[in-house]
Amino acid sequence: MQELLLIQGALSDKGLQRNAAKLAAAGNLRLRIVSIAQLEEAIPEDAIIAQRLLGETGNAKIILAPATVRLRSILPMLAWYLQAGLTADCTHLEISQTGELMQTRPAFGNSLIATIRTVSPVQMATVRPGTFPAETVGELPAVQELTNGCRESAIQWENTPLKAVGSIAQADILVAGGAGVGSMEGFAKLEAFAQKLGGAVGASRNAVDAGYAPYAAQVGLTGITVCPKVYIAVGISGAVQHLAGMSGAGIVIAINSDPKAPIFQYADYGIVGDWETILDEMMEELS
Amino acid sequence: MDGQFRLKRDGANLQVNIADLSAIEAALRIKAETPGGEVTVLSMGPAKGAAVLQELFALGVDRVILLSDRLFAGADTLATTRTLAAAAEKLGQWDCILCGRRAMDAETGQIPSQLAAALQMSVYTNVQQLTMTENGIICQRRLENCLTTVPVQQPCVISLCEYTYHLRLPSIMDRRSAKNKQVEVLTAADMGFAGEKCGLQGSVTKVIHVDTKAPGLRKCQYSTAKELAQRLREVCL
Repeated sequence: MQELLLIQGALSDKGLQRNAAKLAAAGNLRLRIVSIAQLEEAIPEDAIIAQRLLGETGNAKIILAPATVRLRSILPMLAWYLQAGLTADCTHLEISQTGELMQTRPAFGNSLIATIRTVSPVQMATVRPGTFPAETVGELPAVQELTNGCRESAIQWENTPLKAVGSIAQADILVAGGAGVGSMEGFAKLEAFAQKLGGAVGASRNAVDAGYAPYAAQVGLTGITVCPKVYIAVGISGAVQHLAGMSGAGIVIAINSDPKAPIFQYADYGIVGDWETILDEMMEELS
Repeated sequence: MDGQFRLKRDGANLQVNIADLSAIEAALRIKAETPGGEVTVLSMGPAKGAAVLQELFALGVDRVILLSDRLFAGADTLATTRTLAAAAEKLGQWDCILCGRRAMDAETGQIPSQLAAALQMSVYTNVQQLTMTENGIICQRRLENCLTTVPVQQPCVISLCEYTYHLRLPSIMDRRSAKNKQVEVLTAADMGFAGEKCGLQGSVTKVIHVDTKAPGLRKCQYSTAKELAQRLREVCL
C-alpha cells in the first residue's frame, strides 16, 4: 500500500499530524510517521540524515515535514535524491479528486496565494510548525524513531542552547507591532500593554528589519506561525506573508491609521486611528 | 505574471537579494585571507540583471556569470538546482559555494541544500557567523533552539542569514578600474541544456491557480478603544 510519510524532527506538531491523518484517509494512503528525535542534537551532516531517510521512502507517495531549520535543509536533499517536487511553507493541503496533493502557499513576495500540484511520482511539502491548529489527534500510528547513524560522526561539533524564546509561539494573547509602531520605544509601549493582558509581543517582518524588535518575535512566513486566542495587530498593514503566520488566530483585532490597510479584511474587530492614542485609552479602560 | 504563472520581471526594479549581500561579503572576506583566492558570482535571472551584477567587480569580485535565457524562466526548486549545479560543474575547481539562505520572492530557502545534494557535498544552512582559523573555516548555524558550531568540510555549500555581513562599499578608484569588466552571460545552449531540463518545462511543481486574497478573510466590525478594551477584559482577564 502506498504511504503518506510524515517526517518529524525535534518537535511533534499535533496540528500537522492531524492534517496528515486526514490527507492519508482522503488519498487512501497508509500514514507512517518517522521521527528523528532531538534532531537539533543529531549529527551536523544533513546529507547523511537525508540518505538515512531515503531508505524509508520506498512506498511513499506523499512526504510531509514541519519546516524547521534542519528539516528545511534535509528535505530538499531528499527531494533531489527522489527527483521529487517540494513545496515549502504550505498553508493549506488538500487531496484532489484524482488523489493528488494540492498545495497552497503564499507566493511571489506580494499579495498572492498560489495553488500548486506536483507531477513527480513522489509529492513533497513542508509546513511551518503551528500552521494548523493543534486539535485533538485521533488514532495515530506509532511513531517510528530513527536513531541509527544519526548520532555518531567523525566531526567535532558543539551546540550552544539559545535562550528560550518560546513565549510568542505559545502565547494565548499576542500583541504584534508593525513598521507603523515606529520605534523601539513604541515596542516598549506594546510590551506594557501585552503585560496588562497577560500576553506576549510579536512583530512583523518590516518592524524586525527596521530593528524595532528581535527576529525571535517575527510572526509570518519567514518568522514564527502563531495560533493565539487573541491577536492584536498594531500598525501592521497585513502583507500576505504576515497573514500566513497568524490567520489561524482566534480573535483578530487590527489597529491602524490607514483605513485601507489589508489587515482590516482579516480582522474581526478594527479601530482606525493613531495607535498610541488608542492603546492609551485601552490601557486606561483596563486599569 | 504571464499566462503560465511565470513572474514577469520586465517592469520590476532588480536588486540584489538581501541575504545574498551577506554571502558576497563573506566570500570577499574569505578571499582576503586566502592567498590566490578568487571570487566568482553566479546568478540566474533576466539579462537586465547584468547591470546590477557589474557593480560587484568594484568590490573585488573576480568573475561574474549570469545564467540568462527565456528557457530558464518559471523554474521550480528542482529545475533551478539542475541549472545552477550544471553551471557550478562547468566552472571547474572551487572550494565553497556561498549563498543567501533564501530569496526575497518565494522565500523557500530550498536551493542551498538541494544544490549540495546535486553536487554531492556538505551543506551548512542558516549560517550567521563564519570564522577563519588555521585549520579552516568554522561556521555557526542558527537552529530554533541552539547554535551549532561546526568545522566546515570543503567543498561545500554555505547559506548565510540576512544582515550577517554588510556588503562593503567600493572606492572611487575601484569603481574606475572595474568599469570595463564584463559580466559573462551563459544561455541554455551554452550549457548544453535543452528546454526539458530547466525552467518551466523542467519543473515538476506546477502553479495551477493564483489568488490575490489570502485565506482567512473575516468580517471586520469597526469599534472604539473603549468597547474593545471591554471585550478584551472579557476574553483575556
